Amino acid sequence: MVMAEGTAVLRQNRPGTKYIQQNIRADFSNIDKILEPPEGQDEGVWKYEHLRQFCLELNGLAVKLQSECHPDTCTQMTATEQWIFLCAAHKTPKECPAIDYTRHTLDGAACLLNSNKYFPSSVSIKESSVAKLGSVCRRIYRIFSHAYFHHRQIFDEYENETFLCHRFTKFVMKYNLMSKDNLIVPILEEEVQNSVSGESEA
Amino acid sequence: MLEYALKQERAKYHKLKFGTDLNQGEKKADVSEQVSNGPVESVTLENSPLVWKEGRQLLRQYLEEVGYTDTILDMRSKRVRSLLGRSLELNGAVEPSEGTPRAPPGPAGLSGGESLLVKQIEEQIKRNAAGKDGKERLGGSVLGQIPFLQNCEDEDSDEDDELDSVQHKKQRVKLPSKALVPEMEDEDEEDDSEDAINEFDFLGSGEDGEGAPDPRRCTVDGSPHELESRRVKLQGILADLRDVDGLPPKVTGPPPGTPQPRPHEGSFGFSSDVFIMDTIGGGEVSLGDLADLTVTNDNDLSCDLSDSKDAFKKTWNPKFTLRSHYDGIRSLAFHHSQSALLTASEDGTLKLWNLQKAVTAKKNAALDVEPIHAFRAHRGPVLAVAMGSNSEYCYSGGADACIHSWKIPDLSMDPYDGYDPSVLSHVLEGHGDAVWGLAFSPASQRLASCSADGTVRIWDPSSSSPACLCTFPTASEHGVPTSVAFTSTEPAHIVASFRSGDTVLYDLEAGGALLTLESRGSSGPTQINQVVSHPNQPLTITAHDDRGIRFLDNRTGKLVHSMVAHLDAVTCLAVDPNGAFLMSGSHDCSLRLWSLDNKTCVQEITAHRKKHEEAIHAVACHPSKALIASAGADALAKVFV
Repeated sequence: MVMAEGTAVLRQNRPGTKYIQQNIRADFSNIDKILEPPEGQDEGVWKYEHLRQFCLELNGLAVKLQSECHPDTCTQMTATEQWIFLCAAHKTPKECPAIDYTRHTLDGAACLLNSNKYFPSSVSIKESSVAKLGSVCRRIYRIFSHAYFHHRQIFDEYENETFLCHRFTKFVMKYNLMSKDNLIVPILEEEVQNSVSGESEA
Repeated sequence: MLEYALKQERAKYHKLKFGTDLNQGEKKADVSEQVSNGPVESVTLENSPLVWKEGRQLLRQYLEEVGYTDTILDMRSKRVRSLLGRSLELNGAVEPSEGTPRAPPGPAGLSGGESLLVKQIEEQIKRNAAGKDGKERLGGSVLGQIPFLQNCEDEDSDEDDELDSVQHKKQRVKLPSKALVPEMEDEDEEDDSEDAINEFDFLGSGEDGEGAPDPRRCTVDGSPHELESRRVKLQGILADLRDVDGLPPKVTGPPPGTPQPRPHEGSFGFSSDVFIMDTIGGGEVSLGDLADLTVTNDNDLSCDLSDSKDAFKKTWNPKFTLRSHYDGIRSLAFHHSQSALLTASEDGTLKLWNLQKAVTAKKNAALDVEPIHAFRAHRGPVLAVAMGSNSEYCYSGGADACIHSWKIPDLSMDPYDGYDPSVLSHVLEGHGDAVWGLAFSPASQRLASCSADGTVRIWDPSSSSPACLCTFPTASEHGVPTSVAFTSTEPAHIVASFRSGDTVLYDLEAGGALLTLESRGSSGPTQINQVVSHPNQPLTITAHDDRGIRFLDNRTGKLVHSMVAHLDAVTCLAVDPNGAFLMSGSHDCSLRLWSLDNKTCVQEITAHRKKHEEAIHAVACHPSKALIASAGADALAKVFV
């Protein structure tokens, strides 16, 4: 985690990643609690910290996908038939195979979110950098949608363990980081179904 | 979206201006025509002074638009008049500009006004350079990349007082343009406009990642296309201007995959100048904030406390900061011959860094390095990493009790290459709990691991069929092992340290414990965090939670030397390959270098910030180069030279 550079006093007041991680460890299905910022927390920083945590946890999904998602089976990054996603990690957007898209997007997000240039301080986020969070969210979401539509079993396994897509969907809706049209994984309808049928997800 | 709306407003505003300006001079009409023809055509004009003039025209338009030229041009043209004694032409041109603030000077006054303007840009750059970093970024190199500036005649000498007011104006007018160019403010840090454009590439291509050339892509979101067209135009202008001077084009030529020219692109064409101006001249405001941040960071890094007069002393200075992990870095390993490093982090990934790439990439001493590869396979934090022989393979142990072996990819690879599934090699399973320590012996080709399950295991990690060769159960006698190391003088021995404060020498051939070294000390058992073996002497060095470092003789088991080393628990140790220095890291945020001759501290470096009571997790020395590295709980790794 990038500490506040040169502002040691403020550091103690900032809950940061550890706070989020504690809440997740306590109960990862209690999404509302995890997403709720503590008193006085700067919203930009909160969104940033959460996005870092999402990228961290997405590694787990990427690891699972690595075994199943091969460049010869998933030659493009798609979700439903309607969309083909181009990888933005290159000089010119490239039609990377799905596993490459996943890796490049996660690596690119790591560079951006950890970069001193865009996020120099973890006490406050510059307005200009907040816009970047939205584009990172968009690309990250595609990993979920590809997994959902093409590697359903892996998606379900991982979702049961972490509730990550649920949390991510609620997160982007809560902070308006993506437009609802882009949220193509029918995850919340499922949630309603599950709670109705009484399935418990531990 | 906001940008888009703003652009539309600007378009209307500019159209109005075009209407009034067309009366002024033919060149303006030329420009407007060219602009409305779309970026593709302007790009294709080569080595034409018209293109050059067009660039200047666009610049001027931008300046007018932000109100930059309002009184500045007036002042300047007055000055020009007085200095050069220009007569009617300039008068004729200036009056309308005085009279109508928005109207630019006419063709004759064009060159005068423009060169002044452009000179002013030069000055801005120099100011940026001076304000930011002193002499390093002096105008020269920057100006060399903005050839059209150099080609302006130096008509005036003294513009400094104008510049002061200019800067004030710049700051004022920066505010309205801020909303339009939110991303570009960040680029203001870069004096190098080329780099700025490349940053813009990131944005442009970033937006294009949503599928600009894809016909199926919904085009509701217009802003990506705007950015793309602007970027294209910008690149085109810069490319052309460079071509004019015969410099090799620094920006890639024809814009790739240009989207179909959109009908109102022309009116947005001028917006590209917004970016030129912002990147070149603006940014006084944002720069101030950011400059403070970066400068403080670097200054904090190294403080020499003990300045030894020893001839062998080498002062280590921070060179690279490796920034990419989301969570604390637990372990480090250097490549055996190249300037490359592996980091293992609690975020579950290992990253490979090529330090050579950082040096050649940017000449402005970018201390930040980006990883060239990320190894993903662990579920949970990765706690230990060890480099295999010849650095072909490496091994990582994690909280998931697995040890993964990886084939190290080619160091010259691009970080965004295709996925190579052969990188992930084998999984060595067997431990029941988190693997905290790994050590590899090139001499015997054996991997030793210690785990929270209370065992130390030896593996043969050869690529064909890795297997666990033997297991030393240690839980009963000594507790949980924390660290293992092969003794350099005796390849068949390993030394393991424990939470109980014991250090035990094991004989691999005999398959059992050989000797318990006296590391407990008189003050009672303290957890040993790391054990290392001296490369030349039969000496074992241990790092303790009680802030001390102990030196033990392998043959007798006796304590040779003990010293209080830090202000907090000593967490890690590394010996330099010659056996002359010892590096120790501690939770007190400091890295200390000790001379092994007289066991005194020769340098202390403050590195890493404390995060939840922990600071430095690992230190390492390069086996053949003069590089040392430290890994912190703050998710950064620092390399010193």
